[in-house]
Amino acid sequence: MSALTAFAHETRWLGLRTIRRFYRVPANPVSIVLFPLIQLFVFSQLFKDIVQLPGFGGQSSYLAYLAPGQIVFTVFFAVSWTGGNLLYDYRNGFLDKMRVAPVNRYSILAGELVPLFFECMVMAGTILVVSVLLGAEVATGLPGAVLILILSGAFGVAWSGVSFVPALVTKNEQATGTLSLLLFPIAFMSTAFVPTALMPDWLQTVNRWNPISYVIEALRSLMSTGFDWVAIGQAFVAIALLGVVLQGATLLAFRRLTN
Amino acid sequence: MGSAVIEVTDLLKVYPGDRKSEPVTAVDSITFSVGEGEFFGFLGPNGAGKTTTIRVLATLLRATSGLAIVAGHDVAREPAFVRRLVGFAMQTVAVDIMGTGRENLELIGRLHRVPGPELRRRVDELLELMGLTAVATKLAGTYSGGMKRRLDLASALVHRPRVLFLDEPTEGLDPQSRTALWEELLRVRAAGTTMFLTTHYMEEADRLCDRLAIIDHGRIAIEGSPAELKRGIGSDTIVLTLAGDESDGLVAAQESVARLLVGFEPLTGSEATPTGVRLSVNHAHAVIPEVLRRLDTGGVRVAGLSMAEPTLDDVFLRYCGTRIREEAADRPIELGWY
Repeated sequence: MSALTAFAHETRWLGLRTIRRFYRVPANPVSIVLFPLIQLFVFSQLFKDIVQLPGFGGQSSYLAYLAPGQIVFTVFFAVSWTGGNLLYDYRNGFLDKMRVAPVNRYSILAGELVPLFFECMVMAGTILVVSVLLGAEVATGLPGAVLILILSGAFGVAWSGVSFVPALVTKNEQATGTLSLLLFPIAFMSTAFVPTALMPDWLQTVNRWNPISYVIEALRSLMSTGFDWVAIGQAFVAIALLGVVLQGATLLAFRRLTN
Repeated sequence: MGSAVIEVTDLLKVYPGDRKSEPVTAVDSITFSVGEGEFFGFLGPNGAGKTTTIRVLATLLRATSGLAIVAGHDVAREPAFVRRLVGFAMQTVAVDIMGTGRENLELIGRLHRVPGPELRRRVDELLELMGLTAVATKLAGTYSGGMKRRLDLASALVHRPRVLFLDEPTEGLDPQSRTALWEELLRVRAAGTTMFLTTHYMEEADRLCDRLAIIDHGRIAIEGSPAELKRGIGSDTIVLTLAGDESDGLVAAQESVARLLVGFEPLTGSEATPTGVRLSVNHAHAVIPEVLRRLDTGGVRVAGLSMAEPTLDDVFLRYCGTRIREEAADRPIELGWY
């Protein structure tokens, strides 16, 4: 078996276990659908009339504006707890059991991340479907919608490093939760709810460096204008950078933990 | 006993200290080997270095220095080869509580590349062997402690390992489950698997092991078969309680006993205890009347008497100077991640 097929084989079975572990807690499948819906509902009502402000550039529906922001926002929050699963396996000895099997340690990480990719796609898909049902349109049609899901999944996987790193470094669930809380303002400061034009100068500057805003803007173009390849390219670069930094740190921390 | 399946030479493991703790030498240059098909055990108290050793041999922990060959491969250089050939039932039972018993076994089988049809057969067989067939489709999280133990053991056997490592396999089990698990372990061994066990229960080592090493403070004090080791103690024990206390004639009585038994052929040793003396003699049953007659004649008043054949605890006492501490760990479990 080549190294690559071995990796695929291990990831497949470990990933299936991750998925099983996820859907067998009924709260999980329920909340990945409910959480985005509640958010979508609350925020679309809360800021209903904000589109009348000039900064929105003639957008008629806040829903169409909000949906992409909401997708990224939801994925952002949802992956903040994922490191806890690996930590649980570490603590009760199951991680050791996997390591004693002939398994590449990176397959163990992939067995967490691949299902996470699909989990994020499901959340994004839920928001998209409901927004369309409520009257929003996806300007780029089905291909654009698929691209939205892929970007969302990729962003979720990259961003999950903010949960894996503290989990693997502190080996403590509480610390993992509170440390990822520190990063929440990054999501609130992004363009998820309001366009940069309506932000104070300093926040506009911050958002030029906010990778999350780039992901949101790409999704937004796919949703309401068309295939803006510059925005899409920037989003992929932002996700790739996040992935390299955060998942790179995760790999290092995981290596340290399993040596 | 055939050729060696486990060969350990000068194995040393030092956990480096940090600001809060001194460095700890958990395993202090030990050398031993285990033959093909042998049931070998490490008997020692908590903190003796048993778990550290077994984790090094199972490729979970790197030794500081020394060489360990398991099933023909160096654990430090070729851990991937070793992992294919060994099974490890750890001290802390590790089962996937959100998977059923069957799913737990199938996952480990898949990771070991056991092909589908054979895996199903093997899993059925193990569930049967461990008495888990009836609960095979229930989540492992709903299992009792003993059932989780058996599932964990089964998962270490799915790929028919050549060597099975067992770290305190019956820790925390009630006496009945313990005896049942012993029977299962002996069946596994009868199928030709080489077994490496660590335990701090002497009956367990006595009952299961062909050969064992007594380990304390990271060193092997002595090794041999349980029968050999007990025979090495040479004799039975008679414990006498003497009348009087320390201020009132106890010491004098102890001295009298020593004087009265000078030249007594079956006696191989004696020592004072807080309440009397402990005598080591050959064939205690036969010589007790003569011992009592001599003491009576010499005017020593015996207030109580008990007699025992040697146990592994006596062996431990002889070579390590203390009794095996059977109480709960007074040192943290050696997880050994660093």
